[in-house]
Amino acid sequence: MKEITDRLRKDKIGMAGLIGVLFIILLAFLAPVIAPYNPTEMFNQHRLERPSTQFWLGTDEFGRDILSRIIYGAQVSIMVGLIAVGIGATFGFIFGLLAGFFKGWVDNTIMRIMDVLFAFPDLLLALAIVAVLGPNLRNTMIAIGIVTIPVFTRLVRASVIAVKEMDFVLSAESIGIKTPRIILRHITPYILAPFLVQITLALSIAILAEAALSFLGLGIQPPHPSWGSMLSDARGYMELAPWIAIFPALFIILTIFCFNLLGDSLRDLLDPKLKS
Amino acid sequence: MKFKVLFILALFICMLFLAGCGGNNAVSTNGEDDISNSDNNAVGNDSEESNNENNNGTTGENMAAEQTLLIAADQDPSGLDPHKVTAHSSIRITGKVYEGLLQFDDDMELAPQLAESWEQVDDTTYIFKLREGVKFHNGREMTAEDVKYSFDRIKDPETASIGASYFTSVEDIEILGDYEIQFHLSDAYAPFLSYIAHSSAAIVPQEVVEEHGDLNQEAVGTGPFVFEEMVPDTHVILSKNEDYYIEGQPKLDGLKYLTMIDESSRIAAVRTGQIHLTTVSPESVSLLEANVELEIINYYTLDYNYLGINTEREPFNDERVRQAISLAVDRNELINTVMGGDAQLTGPVPPSLGNWSIDVSQHEMYEHNIEKAKELLEEAGFGDGFEAEIGVPGTYRDRVADGQMIQQMLAQIGIDVTIVQLEWGDYIDAWNEGRYDMLTGRNGAGTDPDRSLNFFFHTEGSANVWGFSDEEFDELAEKGRFEVDQGTREQTYFDAQDRLLTQAPNLFLYNPQNYIVISKNVSDYMPLPHSSERFHDTYLSE
Amino acid sequence: MYTYILRRLFLFIPVLFGVTVFVFLVMNIIPGDIASIILGTEATPELKEQLRQEFGLNLPLYQQYWNWISGVFVGDFGNSLRTGAPILPEMLNRFSLTFELTIFAAIISWMIAIPMGILAAVKRNTKGDIGIRFVSLLGVSIPNFALATLLILILSLFFNYYPPVGYVGFLEDPRRNLEILLIPAIVLGTSMAGSLMRMTRSSILEILGQDFIRTAQAKGISQKMVLFKHALRNAIIPVLTIIGMQIGYLLGGTIIVEQIFSLPGLGQMVLTGINQRDFPVVQGTILFIATIFVTVNLIVDILYSYLDPRISYD
Repeated sequence: MKEITDRLRKDKIGMAGLIGVLFIILLAFLAPVIAPYNPTEMFNQHRLERPSTQFWLGTDEFGRDILSRIIYGAQVSIMVGLIAVGIGATFGFIFGLLAGFFKGWVDNTIMRIMDVLFAFPDLLLALAIVAVLGPNLRNTMIAIGIVTIPVFTRLVRASVIAVKEMDFVLSAESIGIKTPRIILRHITPYILAPFLVQITLALSIAILAEAALSFLGLGIQPPHPSWGSMLSDARGYMELAPWIAIFPALFIILTIFCFNLLGDSLRDLLDPKLKS
Repeated sequence: MKFKVLFILALFICMLFLAGCGGNNAVSTNGEDDISNSDNNAVGNDSEESNNENNNGTTGENMAAEQTLLIAADQDPSGLDPHKVTAHSSIRITGKVYEGLLQFDDDMELAPQLAESWEQVDDTTYIFKLREGVKFHNGREMTAEDVKYSFDRIKDPETASIGASYFTSVEDIEILGDYEIQFHLSDAYAPFLSYIAHSSAAIVPQEVVEEHGDLNQEAVGTGPFVFEEMVPDTHVILSKNEDYYIEGQPKLDGLKYLTMIDESSRIAAVRTGQIHLTTVSPESVSLLEANVELEIINYYTLDYNYLGINTEREPFNDERVRQAISLAVDRNELINTVMGGDAQLTGPVPPSLGNWSIDVSQHEMYEHNIEKAKELLEEAGFGDGFEAEIGVPGTYRDRVADGQMIQQMLAQIGIDVTIVQLEWGDYIDAWNEGRYDMLTGRNGAGTDPDRSLNFFFHTEGSANVWGFSDEEFDELAEKGRFEVDQGTREQTYFDAQDRLLTQAPNLFLYNPQNYIVISKNVSDYMPLPHSSERFHDTYLSE
Repeated sequence: MYTYILRRLFLFIPVLFGVTVFVFLVMNIIPGDIASIILGTEATPELKEQLRQEFGLNLPLYQQYWNWISGVFVGDFGNSLRTGAPILPEMLNRFSLTFELTIFAAIISWMIAIPMGILAAVKRNTKGDIGIRFVSLLGVSIPNFALATLLILILSLFFNYYPPVGYVGFLEDPRRNLEILLIPAIVLGTSMAGSLMRMTRSSILEILGQDFIRTAQAKGISQKMVLFKHALRNAIIPVLTIIGMQIGYLLGGTIIVEQIFSLPGLGQMVLTGINQRDFPVVQGTILFIATIFVTVNLIVDILYSYLDPRISYD
């Protein structure tokens, strides 16, 4: 582990990604301290104002401060990302492990259910789940989480099966050591790289999915801001007041970019085949 | 003199038309002729013939060769049965193909359509004299038989027509002759004639209904335009009714409604000249005003945005609480923020309905008085405020915005509001069930105050989902319904409206405008608040 | 090989059955019903009851499902409740659009991603690499709807251009058809290019790090030769996985561009179906999309074994 952090420190691109991600997480945590205004407060006399010294990033159609909304929006967007991916990764891990261990009907049942989920286009599945549960922050996270389960399940299952076939596992088995314990111990290093990369990918997908759901009218509850809902609300004003759209878009891009940089670097670092 | 000039002009255009190989390219942008040629041969052929006629005829002003009006519709029509559809996207199509006995004119007054004249024999008997020689688009003449059939169809519960409830008091329909028909009512139902003019009271031919089973996919009426084809999520094509009974109408060869849900696309398409006409939202108006190629027409609709309150729930069953909410909501602020300043104050009967509506600006419930609101809450025992939920339909920007603004306004009197954004299907359920304390929404007030008042707020009213029940209001609203004297009826409805504002089961927020962008070469086009558009005299100039 | 394909085809049955059951349940749990949606404020209990009766919504659930699925077996997907139009021909029509758009977008994304991915791998950790990664990620990071709106705005304001209105099929008018689909395909294509670029980059990197390449390099074979002869062929497998997923993703991911650019595709049909609670439409279209999705996955798997003899299915 120490080796990894050491190597990450040397990887400038990866560091840049990490710093970016930390910056946004910090933004989310410190929102109440650093946001200049209440993100839902409407300044009636300042609707659709350009960026100024009073409102650094301008105001939206209700006269709300865009900077404050972006800072608070970081909370929502990061939370959607982390919790949704947390749900997907956790359940995916459990299902994948079970399917890989037990083979037979357990494997079959789990994988067929995953196939069913997988056969739906992502956005449609999320849409259907949100429509069933009702559009709000919690359900958006659940829906996006469910959508990401099958990918994680497949990933973990494949790794478990691969580890099971490895020589040392087979030999350990032959001398009577129980397989589950060995696999649990040895699967971690094997699965870490693809798993982490998948997590960074899924985080980006989650943030974008939230934006897409907002666009389709199934986003989080107003007046609370998320970057996705801010951007989709700003669509009608792109020409009249472009700053309403530009800033949330920039933050979405920045976040996803950093997640991707970090993911790429982690992948390079953790994959033993790429040591060079 | 004028005629001579016109004649020469027409001749000139005609020559141009004959000389220039088909002449289509000269005027229209390349997109347009592609459409009428490739998509529908029927329209294409028709248009060439009728261009000749038009240009030779007396109507020849500076008409363009291509006379297919391209309209971008913001919603796809859902079905075409005039007796069943409720969506505006459908009604704007059926309204061109079908006609009723009566119609509303530009001033919202009753005017003849398929009925040449009408007569009220006594309080409960009406006789309509039909126009002779009117043909359905299948060539058969329309007679009193068809009128009877159509109303029987509307009243038949099997049809599930929305018009069934409008004509419950119609007891008996008697054919007096081929062109004469008599309606007998069970009581002196005052709104009868305005429902006769409603778009759902269309006259349809029996044989077409029987051939197709229903009228969802097929449309054969007597109107100025003939239904050609409907491709879901793509377009609806209507062509000119060559046998229309009014000489020289319509001038257009056809209408093409293109479904374009996205507003930025509609704006781009009208800017680049690919379409002639579309609707836009208030926030986009300022972007298009400066464009010399385009013209913006705006008018007040018959709709209003509202905040509905569930009057059966604690504490909203206390009228003082509702009054406090009404006093706390600054309607002018809503108009400024949500509608860009371009809407008007309204009561349950919007001002665009004419004489029926009262002036609300002086009403005590509209004065936006926070102090008074707080006092009322105090009196009601909620001086410390309370929590409440507002349901908003996520599909509609304006109604979500109303909710957000009202949330802020009610915070000033200590009401802590949570907004619940609902998916459309869920919202309709919530509306029916009264699931939330409050809902934002929009109502079509209809063409008669009977609908605006009885339908939405009478204890028995079928759209009274608010659990509102007030004897005094019920009495007034019923009295208006059966009051034949126009003056007395007006006064009764004024009193009813006043009572409703004071009781505040709903807050009537504003009466919005519709904005229609047309390109400059669309001439003689007039939108109407109730049917959205009339293309009888419209034509495309060069 | 054939037994493998047969076994996979056999597995379609439980998966697709699961899909139909899932969709059926979802459509029944979703709050809101089509009768209320059609009637809106005009709803009276009698009217609503009449419509529900007409639509067969009052039958017991298992019977509704049975009526639907037994129709599907004989190729009858039923009629849309909203418009009364038969679903199957409509679906096939729309599929041709969505499929064309998908392929178009996929080609655009390949044209961007594969050369860029190779370049980035070769120039690993240089400014060029970072630049390419940034640009290709830009496409992924902007939500499609924002990119689409931005493009529409820029094209109409500065170039007085908007794609022709009114969709026509490729067979009717190929030029016009391609012009209509170009901008939407660019929007979709750029959003797909990022992940494909990443995959290309890392597979090439991985291959470049492998012994046989190193040997080749040591033997003095030129960099270009190494890249094109050895690295590319070996890198194609993981790239193919992404492409397979991409096509599947695009088939469903076109919803938003279809709506913005007014394209009558499958995505719009599903969306309207869900919004209007038109359950035969939703069930039919999703079953259709799922079938295509699993088929594409199967084709990708079969392609693997052709491209990589090490993979065998038995």
